[in-house]
Amino acid sequence: MSVAGRIGGLLLQHGFVAVLVVVFIVFAVFTDTFFTFGNIVDMLHAMSPLMVISAGLALVVMAGKLDISVGSVAYVAASCGTLLMLRLGWPPVPALLAALSVGAALGAINGLIVVVLRVNPLITTLGTMIAYRGVGLQLTNAEVARLPEGVRVLGNWSVGPVFGDTLIALAIVIAVHLLHRRTVFGRQLTAIGNGEDVARRIGMPVDWLVFAAFVFSGVLAAVGGVLDTLQIGAISAYLGKGLEFNAVAVIVVGGISLFGGRGAILSGVVLGALVFEMIRNGLNHVGANPYAYRLVSGAVIFAAMYADALKSGVRGAAARLLTRRDA
Amino acid sequence: MTQAAYLRMEGLSKAYPGVVALRGARLEARRGEAVALMGANGAGKSTLMNVLGGVTLPDEGSVTIDGAAVHLRSPREALAHGIAFVHQELAMLPSMTVAENVFADGFPTRFGVVDSARMHREATTLLARLGCNLPTGRLVETLGPGDRQMVEIARALRRAPRIMIFDEPTSSLTSREKARLFDIVQGLKRDNVAIIYITHFVDEIFEICERVTVMRNGATVADRAIAQTSPADVVHLMLGEADSAERLADASTGPGPVVLDVANLSGGLLRDINLTVSAGEVVGLWGLLGSGRTELVRALIGLDPIESGTLRWRADSELQPITPANLHRIAGVVTEDRRGEGLLLPLTTRANLSLTSLRSLLYAFGVIDRGKEERLATDMIGQMHIKVSGSGQTVGTLSGGNQQKVVVGRWLATNPRLFLLDEPTRGLDVGAKTEILKLTAALAHAGAAVLVISSEPEELLRICDRYLVMSRGRITAQLPGTANRTDLLAAVAAAPTPSRAA
Ligand SMILES: Nc1ncnc2c1ncn2[C@@H]1O[C@H](COP(=O)(O)OP(=O)(O)OP(=O)(O)O)[C@@H](O)[C@H]1O
Ligand SMILES: [Mg+2]
Repeated sequence: MSVAGRIGGLLLQHGFVAVLVVVFIVFAVFTDTFFTFGNIVDMLHAMSPLMVISAGLALVVMAGKLDISVGSVAYVAASCGTLLMLRLGWPPVPALLAALSVGAALGAINGLIVVVLRVNPLITTLGTMIAYRGVGLQLTNAEVARLPEGVRVLGNWSVGPVFGDTLIALAIVIAVHLLHRRTVFGRQLTAIGNGEDVARRIGMPVDWLVFAAFVFSGVLAAVGGVLDTLQIGAISAYLGKGLEFNAVAVIVVGGISLFGGRGAILSGVVLGALVFEMIRNGLNHVGANPYAYRLVSGAVIFAAMYADALKSGVRGAAARLLTRRDA
Repeated sequence: MTQAAYLRMEGLSKAYPGVVALRGARLEARRGEAVALMGANGAGKSTLMNVLGGVTLPDEGSVTIDGAAVHLRSPREALAHGIAFVHQELAMLPSMTVAENVFADGFPTRFGVVDSARMHREATTLLARLGCNLPTGRLVETLGPGDRQMVEIARALRRAPRIMIFDEPTSSLTSREKARLFDIVQGLKRDNVAIIYITHFVDEIFEICERVTVMRNGATVADRAIAQTSPADVVHLMLGEADSAERLADASTGPGPVVLDVANLSGGLLRDINLTVSAGEVVGLWGLLGSGRTELVRALIGLDPIESGTLRWRADSELQPITPANLHRIAGVVTEDRRGEGLLLPLTTRANLSLTSLRSLLYAFGVIDRGKEERLATDMIGQMHIKVSGSGQTVGTLSGGNQQKVVVGRWLATNPRLFLLDEPTRGLDVGAKTEILKLTAALAHAGAAVLVISSEPEELLRICDRYLVMSRGRITAQLPGTANRTDLLAAVAAAPTPSRAA
């Protein structure tokens, strides 16, 4: 295969890489502040919560399901943690564990509704997305609550030049990637995404696995909510709002199929999140109208989906070529 | 053969809303023997095996293994009792590798992590036992049906089963793969495994089975030693009538004008294909699996790209150039992968049958006339003897063979002037096969042009007016309708075999 052909193949395999490169070059050329070390560190910092939440969602998507309650889960979990510290004077570590437990519990509720009541995951989590936010607003009275002073400084914690939460987020994404790629649990989730009936016939405990994926998603949403709260230094009624859609967009652009069973979590989540963060950050640097971000993001999602459609066309053709055997 | 049965299934019943799939079915299997399970489409063979595989819970009845009653409530429990199942509809995970598919029912781990090295190593060994040297890292979606079948068999063998179920394993295998499968079955017998073998090919069971159990309408009607029966006997038990292999159409109806003309077509595997199909003529495309038969049909209807060549189609009185995509629109096409490409499994039988003729079912404002749709569906169900509880039964719940009849039936409803049929009888029982062949002949008689592919020369011999022999992507010979089986086989054998560089 020629070099050009190989590059073309690579771009098709990972449509989002092409998008990423284009976005990067555009901003690097049109501004002189974008492509600086400081700015890149900032971007990695800003996208950390989104990466963690997307990684959790990716596990659910791998099994061919969807969880759009992650933004609300992040809000409720972070609010519980914060309020436990503020109102009951809990120390940070137990408060953090409580927040994660809340995330696990909310994820478990999603999982139970999907597995036991057999409600479509999109409908289920649309419902709980609204309901959980209601619970969160009730808890916080929709007010802003600032983190205790001692905890707030954690938001600026950094290791060398890199922010601490970037490292935490990367570690989590790598862990989830390994969970997907290297463990029985991950393979089984992928199998369910390939065909739930088939997985059942083979004898996999499909219901347990789907339930567990929702719990994972809930816990990681809680982690994302905590990271987000630390960055802002407070919880507000808007925390995590719209995050579910950003996370879905990251997954789609990162080449993880919403139909399940296909995609790589590490590259997908990191590069997918990077695309959106670069657009947001870059548009700021260009001084564009703040609403332009939505339009451009939308266009990027379409571009990525188109590349994906081309890719499945190629995949189909390749499959046919490869099925030819000698008589 | 006087040894007691190892597996005994008795009085099994299962009813679905509107359909009784099993009524007191019975089956016995002995270690070291293969029992053939025969029956027409919808007789309940797969359902009975699903009970044994823990996939379906029966309403009534008992299963005993080695004298002890067992309860099979899930595929896992069945596995635990040493039961392995090669499904009629393969249980494949397309985006995963061959090795992962072989080990899907229990991944090997080391320190909590999937042991990939071991998985690939053992998968390679298992496949080698099947005489198959697939790279275990390849994705299953890139495999053809025969290789997928091998992967599924490898998965079943891995557990060293004591009872092994094959549900129509040969319907997508080449003759070489089939020979290999038979070797495996013989090997399993030597290892003292009890084998249950479902097929619609009556001759196969005389080759590898010791006993035969015949089902009709959900009940077991016979259980005999192979030595005490004959193929005609088995078919009679299955259908209650004798099957014949006589020709279904005159070879000399005299074709009408050329309807489709293909000149110098190349692309993919195909090289310099020239052919014509005339109105009122059944042309048999004959060649071994992999000779390019399927690829030719796919190229004609634009599913595979064409590099060069022209297609011409008789629109009114003249042959005019036509694109593959347009040809696809006007021709009735039945492809090899009917389940994947042809059926909407969650919809009703009625909706699937009317799908291609919706335009003719409309009344005011583009609304579908329910009455007409229902009539069309009932007509087709009657004509094709599709076994359903009613036109409203979900297609996904029909038996394998009946699903195939639906796909074929839907095209009959549209009355196209050209039919491209790729293995239209695959998976059908002997009776239904004859029906489809009769229909094909009738279509040609009514003036349609038909191009039909089949792996079984006996089938082609019953209906074709002309044969095109394919080998390695080329048409290597043309035979008249008077050719016999020996001529067909000789034509394939004589096909030039160019250097394997291609
Ligand atoms: N889930 C289901 N819901 C409703 N009906 C069903 C279901 N599964 C099977 N049936 C019905 O039970 C009957 C027996 O089907 P089964 O699949 O066992 O037939 P089979 O003997 O395997 O036929 P084939 O040779 O065509 O594969 C059919 O009439 C089928 O429609
Ligand atoms: Mg069946």
